[in-house]
Amino acid sequence: MKSSTNNTQSHQDTRTPGHQWKTGVLVSWCLGVLVFLIILGVAKPKPKVYIRTLKNKHYQLLVENKPYIIKGVCYNPIPIGQNCEYDWWSDSDKPWLVDGNLMKDMGINTVRIYQTGDKPESVKEVIRDLYGKFGIRTILGHWIGFWEYPCPMYGEKNFEERIKKEVLDMVNLYKDEPGLLCWILGNENNYSCLGHINPWTTDEIEKEPDPQKRKNMRGEIYYSFINDLAKEIHKIDPNHPVALGNGELIMLDVAKQFAPDVDLIACIIYRGKTFGNLFNSLKATFDKPLLISEFGADAYDAFNKKEYQQMQAFFLESQWRQIYENLANNKKGAGNCIGGTMFEWTDEWWKHNPGDPEGWKVHDTESSWSNGSYYFDIQAPKNMNMNEEWFGIVALSPDEKEFGLNKRIPRMAYYVIRDFWKNPKSKFQTPKLKSP
Amino acid sequence: MKNFKIFISVFILSSVFFNFSPLAQGRDKADDLVKEILNAKSNQELYATFEAAKEVYFKENKYNDFVEFLKSLSQKKKTLASFVNYYTGLSRYQQLKFLEEKQDWDEYFSQGNNYRDQLCSSLEQSIKSTATQDKINLYSRLILWQFHEDQQDAFAEQALSELMSQAQGYAKSASDLNPVKEVADKLLYYGKQAKSRELYKVYIDKIVSANIKDGDLENMAEQFLKEGNLELAETVYDVYIERILESLPKEKSLPLLIELAKLFAYKDEGIKDVFYAQKLFKKIEETGGKDAFDEELTYLAGFNSEKAKEFNQTKDYYIVLLNRFPQTKYADEVSYKTGIIFTYVLRDLQKGKEYFENLAQKEVVSPQVISSLYQLGLLSQWEGALDKAKEYYGKLIEKAKSDFSAASPNESLAQAKERLKEIEGSNPLDYNLKIFLDMSLEEGYANFNMSKVDLKSALYRPPKDKEININSTAYPPQSGCMQVVLEYLWSGDLGKTKPTSQDASFTTSYSQAGTKLISLVVTTPSGIIDRSIDLVDIE
Repeated sequence: MKSSTNNTQSHQDTRTPGHQWKTGVLVSWCLGVLVFLIILGVAKPKPKVYIRTLKNKHYQLLVENKPYIIKGVCYNPIPIGQNCEYDWWSDSDKPWLVDGNLMKDMGINTVRIYQTGDKPESVKEVIRDLYGKFGIRTILGHWIGFWEYPCPMYGEKNFEERIKKEVLDMVNLYKDEPGLLCWILGNENNYSCLGHINPWTTDEIEKEPDPQKRKNMRGEIYYSFINDLAKEIHKIDPNHPVALGNGELIMLDVAKQFAPDVDLIACIIYRGKTFGNLFNSLKATFDKPLLISEFGADAYDAFNKKEYQQMQAFFLESQWRQIYENLANNKKGAGNCIGGTMFEWTDEWWKHNPGDPEGWKVHDTESSWSNGSYYFDIQAPKNMNMNEEWFGIVALSPDEKEFGLNKRIPRMAYYVIRDFWKNPKSKFQTPKLKSP
Repeated sequence: MKNFKIFISVFILSSVFFNFSPLAQGRDKADDLVKEILNAKSNQELYATFEAAKEVYFKENKYNDFVEFLKSLSQKKKTLASFVNYYTGLSRYQQLKFLEEKQDWDEYFSQGNNYRDQLCSSLEQSIKSTATQDKINLYSRLILWQFHEDQQDAFAEQALSELMSQAQGYAKSASDLNPVKEVADKLLYYGKQAKSRELYKVYIDKIVSANIKDGDLENMAEQFLKEGNLELAETVYDVYIERILESLPKEKSLPLLIELAKLFAYKDEGIKDVFYAQKLFKKIEETGGKDAFDEELTYLAGFNSEKAKEFNQTKDYYIVLLNRFPQTKYADEVSYKTGIIFTYVLRDLQKGKEYFENLAQKEVVSPQVISSLYQLGLLSQWEGALDKAKEYYGKLIEKAKSDFSAASPNESLAQAKERLKEIEGSNPLDYNLKIFLDMSLEEGYANFNMSKVDLKSALYRPPKDKEININSTAYPPQSGCMQVVLEYLWSGDLGKTKPTSQDASFTTSYSQAGTKLISLVVTTPSGIIDRSIDLVDIE
C-alpha cells in the first residue's frame, strides 16, 4: 500500500516537478558542457616536457610534471676505423645497449645526439631502447646545414626551405617517442655570422662595408630563420621545448631580438674548470633557461705526451659542480641552468684526420686547437693542448672486443662524476627542488 | 726477577723513545700552542698565536691535523669560535690548492666537496660571529672571495663586492690598517688593479690624515717602488702631487712633477708606467701650460705616447716639438715618425707625404732621410706612379751611396733595390707590403683601426746588432673548438730575419741606426683580422 500510495503520489508529484527536473537536467547539462569547454579551453593539459618559471624567476625543467635535471652526455659512438659517415644507428651490434647500461650505472639520464640517422626505424629503435631499457631520454638535434659544402646559405630561400623541411620531418617522425626530451637547433652556427668559420654572405651583406654591421646582418638572418623553425615546431609538437644551439654567448644580443620564440639556449662552452659568469651573463643578455649542451675536457696531456685521466676528471667534476650551483632554487646561484650534456661518451678516433681512412685507426695525439683555460698542458708546443680524439668518458679498446664492439673502458671521470651525482651534497652547491 | 729487569729496561727504553720521537715532539709542540692560545689575553695576542700555530702546520702541509687541532681548541674554549672558524676555512682553502697543485687526486676527489663545504660554512660562521672592525671578519671575506675567484664561479662577483664593502667599513673604524693593505695587495695579485687601487687609496688617505710630512710621503712612495708595488707607489704619488700642487708655488711644484714624469716615462730598462706618465704629462700641462715643456720634455712626452700606442697624441707632441724647436736634434726622427703616423695610422696620405718630402729634401743625410725617400718611392709605387717611384728610389740609391756611406748595407737601400726590380720586371708590389698599404690607405678598410692586433718589441732603443724579440698578439673573433688558422703578413724593416706567415713572433737585429717601421697584417682564410705597426729606434 504504502508503495501504491507512494506510486500514485510519485506519479502525481512528478508532473510539475518532472517538468522542473527536465529543465534542471537541461541547465545542468548545459552548465556541464560549458565547464567542460572552459576546462578544455583554459586548462589544457601541460606539455609532457616543459620549463616553468618559478616565483624567484628561476627556471625548472619538468618532465611529466616532475623536476628533471639533465645529467647528460653527447653521444656519437663511432667505432675505431670508421668516421662520421658511419651509420651506427643500424649497427647490428647495437652499441647503445652496451653504452646505455654503462650510462645508467653512472647516473646519466639523457643523451644528446647532434643529428638523426637516415633510417627512421633505426633511430626510433635507439630512442626506445635507451628509454625503455635504461630510462635514458634523448635530445635530438639538427646541424641546420652548418657543415654543408661550400658553406651554409642562410638567407637563401631554397636552402632555408630545404633545411626547414628536414627539421620538420624530423619533428614529425620522432615527436611521439616517449623517450624524447627536447630539440636543439644548430650547434656553434653563430660563429659563421662572425665571418671566419664556414663564412656565408648575401648580396645585401656584401654591399655593407662596416664589418660590425655585416655581422649583425648575418645574425639577423640566421636567428630569424631559427625563430621561424621554432615557431613551426611548436605548432606540430607542443610537448617538447626547442633549444637554440649557440657557441658561447656570442651574438645572443642579436638572438634576443630575432629569436624570441626559442624555449631555451643550449650553449657550447669550453672555459676550463669554470663557466665563469656565464649564468648571470646569459640572464643579462637573453634571459632564457640554459642547457650547457657541450662542455668537458680531453684526457690527453699534450705537454707530457701521455693520457691523463685525472686531468679530465678534475675539469669535469668542477664543471658539474658549477652546473649544480646554478640550478633552480639554489639561493646563491643564477637559477637558470637546467643541466648539461658533457662532451662526450666515447672517444672518436677519426676526428684528427677526417679525410684519411688510415688515420681513423690511429688514436691521434696531435692537438688540433688551443685553450688556455685547460692549464695543465697549455705549455705544449704552440700552446696546442686540446686533443679532439680524447674527450670520451669511456675509452675504446683497439684490441679487445666486447659484444662485437670496441670494448668500453670507463675513464676516471666516469667514476668521479658518478660519485658526484650520487652525492652532490654540498650545501652551497646543491639546490633543493621545491615547488614554486 | 730477571723478567722484571727486562720489563723495566723495555719500559725505560720505550719511554725515552716515545718522549724524543717526532710524534712526541709534535704532540708537545701542539700542547704548547694550545697553552699559548688559551693564555692569550687580547685578540691581538690570539691572532699572533693562531698565526704561529698555522705556520707550524702549513709548513708541512698538515691541513687535516691543523683542523683537528682547531677542533680540540674550540672544545676547550668556546669564545675562540671565530678564530677557529676562520683558520678552519683558511686551512681547507690552502689544502684544496695544495691537492690540486700536487695533483693528489685521490684525496681531491674523495674529500674535495667536504672541504669546500667546510671552507664556506666555517668562513660564513666566522663572518657572522665577528664585528666589522674585527680583522678576522675581513680576512674571512678575503678567503671566501679568493675561493670563488679561483673557481671563477658565479659567486665571485658578489663575494668581491662584499669584500670591498667590508674593507671600507673596517678602514673607517679600525686603527690597524695593515689588513686593508693586505687585501689590496691580494687584489693586485689577482689582477684587480682598479679595486686594489681603491683600497690603497683608502689606506693612504688614512695614513695621510695622520699628518705625515710631504717628504715622508715621497719616501714611502719610493719605498713601494723599490718593493715593486707600482700601484701603491702611484697611489701615494697621487696624494703627494695633490699636496704639492696645493701647498707649493708653480715654480717649485713643476720641477717635482717633471721629475716624476721622467721617472715613469718609457725606458727600455727600469721603472716605467707609460699610462701613469701620460697622466703626469697632462698634469704638467695643466699646471704650467705648454711653456712648461722644454725640448727634451716635449720629445719624452711624445715618445712615451708612442710607446703607449696613442699615436694621435704622439703626432701632436712631435708637431709641437718641430714647431717650437725647429733645430731640435730629434727633428729627423720625429718628422719621419709623424709622416708614418699620418700615413699608416691616420690614413692621411697627403699629410704623410709632406713630412717625407720635407725630410727627403734635407741636405744633411740621416737614416730617416733615406727612409723617407723609400717611403715616398713605396707610396708612389702603390699609387701606380711608377716613374715617380723610380725617381725616389734612384735618389735614395744616390744619397745612400754618396752621402750616407756606412760599413754595413743600408736596409732602406736594399729594400729600394728590391722595389726597383719589381718595377723593372713589371712585377707586382710585394704581397705583404701591398696588403698592408691597402689596409692603411684604401677607403674600404677604414673600419680596421688597429685594435685587434697588438705589436710589441722587447726593446725600443736597442744598440746595433742587439737581438730583439718582436711579438704580436691577434684578437680574432671567438670560434669555440674550431681553430681559426691565423696568417701573419710581416712587412717593413724586419732586420736580419725573414719571419714566415706562420710566425706570430720573431727575433731579429739591425745593423744600421735609424727608425725602423715594422708592419703586420693578420689574416684568416676567410678574411682580415687587422693590422698594426711598431717603431723601433736603433741607436
